[in-house]
Amino acid sequence: MIKDEIRILVIDDEPAIRNILRASLEPHGYKIEEAVSGQQGLSKSSDFHPHLILLDLGLPDIDGLNILKELRKWTRIPIIILTVTDNESTKVQLLDAGADDYLTKPFGTKELLARVRVGLRTHGLVEATPLFQSGHLQVDLNQRKVKVKDIIVHLSNTEFEVLALLVRDQGKVVPQALIMKKVWGVLAEDQNHYLRIYINQIRKKIEENPSQPKHIITEPGVGYRLV
Amino acid sequence: MSDSDNRLDPDALLRIIDNEEKNSREAKLRIFLGMSAGVGKTYSMLRAAHQKLKEGVDVVIGAAVTHGRAETEALLAGIPSLPLKKVNHRGTSLEELDIDAILERKPKLVVVDELAHSNIPGSRHEKRYQDVLELLDAGIDVYTALNVQHLESRKDSVEAITGIKIRETVPDSILERASLVELVDIAPTELLKRLKEGKVYLGDKANRAAENFFKEDRLTALREIALRMTAERVDQDLQRMATTRKETSPWQTNERLLVAISHSPYSERLIRATRRLAYNLEAPWIAIHVDTGIVLNDTDQAQLIKNLNLARELKAELITTTEVDVSAAIRRVCRMKNVTQVIVGRPTKRWFRDVIEGGTLLDRLVRESIEVDVHVIRQDGVSIYQPSLKDEVLRYRSETGFVKYGYTLCFLILIALVSGLINPLIGYRAVGFVFLLAVLIVGMFGSLGAVIFSAILSAFIWNFFFIPPTMKLIISSPDDIILCISFFVVAVITGFLTNRIRFHEQLIRVREERTNFLYEILQDIAYSHGKSDFLNKVIRRVGNLLQADCGVILKSPEGELIFDETTSYSIVLDEKDRAVALWSFQNQKKAGWSTDTLAQSNALYMPLSGYTETIGIFVFQPHKKSRKLDLEQENLLISILRQLGISIERHFLSKRLAETQRLKDSEQLYQTLLNSISHELRTPLTAILGTASNLDDEKMVNDRAYLKGVSHSLQEAGDRLNRVIENLLDMSRLSSGILSLKLEWNDFSDLIGVVIKKNSKLLSKHKLKISTPQEMVLIKLDFRLMEHAISNILLNAVMYSPPETEIKINLKKEDMKLIFEVEDEGLGIPEEAISKIFDKFYRVAGTPAGGTGLGLSIVKSIIELHKGTVQFENRKPHGACFRIELPLEESPKVPEEIDS
Repeated sequence: MIKDEIRILVIDDEPAIRNILRASLEPHGYKIEEAVSGQQGLSKSSDFHPHLILLDLGLPDIDGLNILKELRKWTRIPIIILTVTDNESTKVQLLDAGADDYLTKPFGTKELLARVRVGLRTHGLVEATPLFQSGHLQVDLNQRKVKVKDIIVHLSNTEFEVLALLVRDQGKVVPQALIMKKVWGVLAEDQNHYLRIYINQIRKKIEENPSQPKHIITEPGVGYRLV
Repeated sequence: MSDSDNRLDPDALLRIIDNEEKNSREAKLRIFLGMSAGVGKTYSMLRAAHQKLKEGVDVVIGAAVTHGRAETEALLAGIPSLPLKKVNHRGTSLEELDIDAILERKPKLVVVDELAHSNIPGSRHEKRYQDVLELLDAGIDVYTALNVQHLESRKDSVEAITGIKIRETVPDSILERASLVELVDIAPTELLKRLKEGKVYLGDKANRAAENFFKEDRLTALREIALRMTAERVDQDLQRMATTRKETSPWQTNERLLVAISHSPYSERLIRATRRLAYNLEAPWIAIHVDTGIVLNDTDQAQLIKNLNLARELKAELITTTEVDVSAAIRRVCRMKNVTQVIVGRPTKRWFRDVIEGGTLLDRLVRESIEVDVHVIRQDGVSIYQPSLKDEVLRYRSETGFVKYGYTLCFLILIALVSGLINPLIGYRAVGFVFLLAVLIVGMFGSLGAVIFSAILSAFIWNFFFIPPTMKLIISSPDDIILCISFFVVAVITGFLTNRIRFHEQLIRVREERTNFLYEILQDIAYSHGKSDFLNKVIRRVGNLLQADCGVILKSPEGELIFDETTSYSIVLDEKDRAVALWSFQNQKKAGWSTDTLAQSNALYMPLSGYTETIGIFVFQPHKKSRKLDLEQENLLISILRQLGISIERHFLSKRLAETQRLKDSEQLYQTLLNSISHELRTPLTAILGTASNLDDEKMVNDRAYLKGVSHSLQEAGDRLNRVIENLLDMSRLSSGILSLKLEWNDFSDLIGVVIKKNSKLLSKHKLKISTPQEMVLIKLDFRLMEHAISNILLNAVMYSPPETEIKINLKKEDMKLIFEVEDEGLGIPEEAISKIFDKFYRVAGTPAGGTGLGLSIVKSIIELHKGTVQFENRKPHGACFRIELPLEESPKVPEEIDS
């Protein structure tokens, strides 16, 4: 894959943040374009044809959430939100409005690069397969097989369904409400203890140390992420 | 005399202290008392006002009637006076005291003449003395004038002396309110002389009456009353002083008086007499009314309410009770209240009732109660109304008048016909039993009168139609005579007893209903979600029971009534209504319909009071305005309002407490924010700025090892800044009170994992030893908040224990409790500081720099929000242990899964 073809649009009014993003991303071969306001961001996202957008939530002219909704009217390109709020309901709201992921300031370069990679992959820029491989864990969605250290692990139907949801959006945070709805149906949306119990069971089967999981990461108050 | 005898009665002392405190705080009332018109009360009053004016007191004349007397009129000059209010009454323009103007002007002292004056209908109060009381309540001193004939308790005597009917009266209690009663005295001969000289002008109207009034003997009698009144008053003052001066009072008594009152106009006299006795004995007194279930007509009902109001006005403790037997009721109350003297009226002619009730009330009281004195009040030559036989019979009519007697008559005729049919079969003697049964049945359904009526009638029918010789009122055989007489006696007694049992049952039912109702209201309050919820329930319930529209207006935190948020279904308050409500609220007295104040209003307004203050107004708008609120209803309403008031107040108090705490906290937070900015924020900033400027140096930039160090210190400084900010944010969120817990089922070990992962860099220098139970611990908590709490505890352990030591993290489940412990091998905390470590901004003296003193208090707040506890103890030989306990709920069940 030729990296200099990948264009990233940064929409943020703070020069310091734009600088640090540019400095972190350019060495990895991404082409960066900056927008300093929401208005400019909207026009540049159609002119510049970015492959991914990093959008700051607190812009002076238009609220980040509205820009997100505006963009989602016409494009499916991955959008990662940069936010200062630690509030989980805002995060869930963003994910519901179509954001692919979020990064809470302050964040490190490694985290940023990982999220960007995941964002690009789910949109076909990095090849996605029904196979998931990470460390000792292997999941094959087609054959419904889960292997740890090449040994087949038996998961119950529900356990597999939960894991499969995470595999399909691998690397991205999957909101818990979404998992509840897809696995147990709309009525069970509030019964999140189901999910806690199943995640606990899955971890016991696939993690080396279930109390310090490496694969299924908890995103407090939001959901889970498979890495 | 022994020392203990000489000691002051603590109660008495308290009373005096109380009164003196009140006197220094409360407005003073000075009454200029005279025996009649023309003695110079207004003159003396105005002179006293002038004196005050000279002393620099802010004096205003509210109302002064000079009757055109030149000397008096001259005194008006120099004192500012407020104009009277023009009131339109039935087309004529009249003048009235402008109480609102006085309240607004708020002078130190106001002169209001003619205390006994009755206001024009439609004024705020019926009587001027009520205006005066309101002025006093508002903290304004009042000078006023009063003639002795207008005092309620002296009215009768004066009427007897002068033969003039006195309409305008003031309650005697006003004298007690007065801090000074000044007698304006003049010899009757002098007064008559002044009258002749034309110095006292009484007006054309008064002339004729005056001719009768101003006779020397009468004036002397009036003067005696006035003097005696003042003397009594002086005696009391003396006694009050004696008590304070530690001298045993010759008058101290443990007496307690009780007067029995009925719907008779004579009761008024009894009440006044008792009040006089009580006043002289310095004893508390009780007025009791026993409702025997006799239905009163409207005039009697009105007289009863008048009597009760009079007793209340004269400061009696009022008891109304329902019982058939008056004497028993009085004896019960006497025992309950330790009454020593009972005052009753002279028995009236009672015809047949003595037989039924076992003697007059007086007879029975004297016979049956040995522990009290019984007084019978003299009649002073005024004839008491003696009831005729007709009146006595009328007592027994039922609610529907005499209709029920018609039913009884029909019933007996029917019985007679049936008896006539079966007479040949059973014989005339057995017929007597049929009639006896009939009387019993009447006793079960009819009134007492109906029982007597049916007993007489059936004896008559039996005798006339059945006992031989029939169709004659004579009985031939002596057996039958005895039979007939005993029939009558048995019929009356059994009928009477049946009737009484039924009445008792009714009484019990009524009482039970009332208790139930109060209980239901309490339930409403207890099981409601919030204030507005129970208010709505109570309003609806009271409205249904008493047939009225009800509403509640509460006051705002600033102490003003919030009319826009009136809780009600159908009451709409216009400007006028609001004014009444406001008056009631400000004066803490009921007003409007069925009261003396602003009685023209459509609704009754009653203040809602808690333990400490008035918190709003209860609006009671009856469906039928014509009826007055009866006693029973009013008592019920008062008990309900008391409950309601206390409940609302409790609600208010808890809210206000939270508010104050929040303000206090945020103030301290703000203070500390300022303090910690200097240290906590500037230290890492200095590190960042310093290293950043070093990066300019080219020599340094080329040094790999140096760069690594720079990166490390920058990151560390950044992390530290971030932690400070997070703690400050948490704290402000927690103390703002706006934070709502987002409780969800969570896996506690997962939470520990997240915390460790997040702080892995900081924890890396210590050896972590984690032990969690095999079984998953599911608990309802706010994940993000709890994460912060656990983080803070772990970081605390890291900060206060040396590197390379062990930090133990234990998670346990013990009988429905989650226990989480963090143990380190640091120095622990000095014993004396342990109690304070969870306080906001507290830092143990001598601990290394860094930290805001917020971390542990955040932990405590968060854990307490989750209804848990956090404790600290030092470990042996050294180290610290934090222990968090959280309550667990029954873990939810998960649907069983069929494993394929």
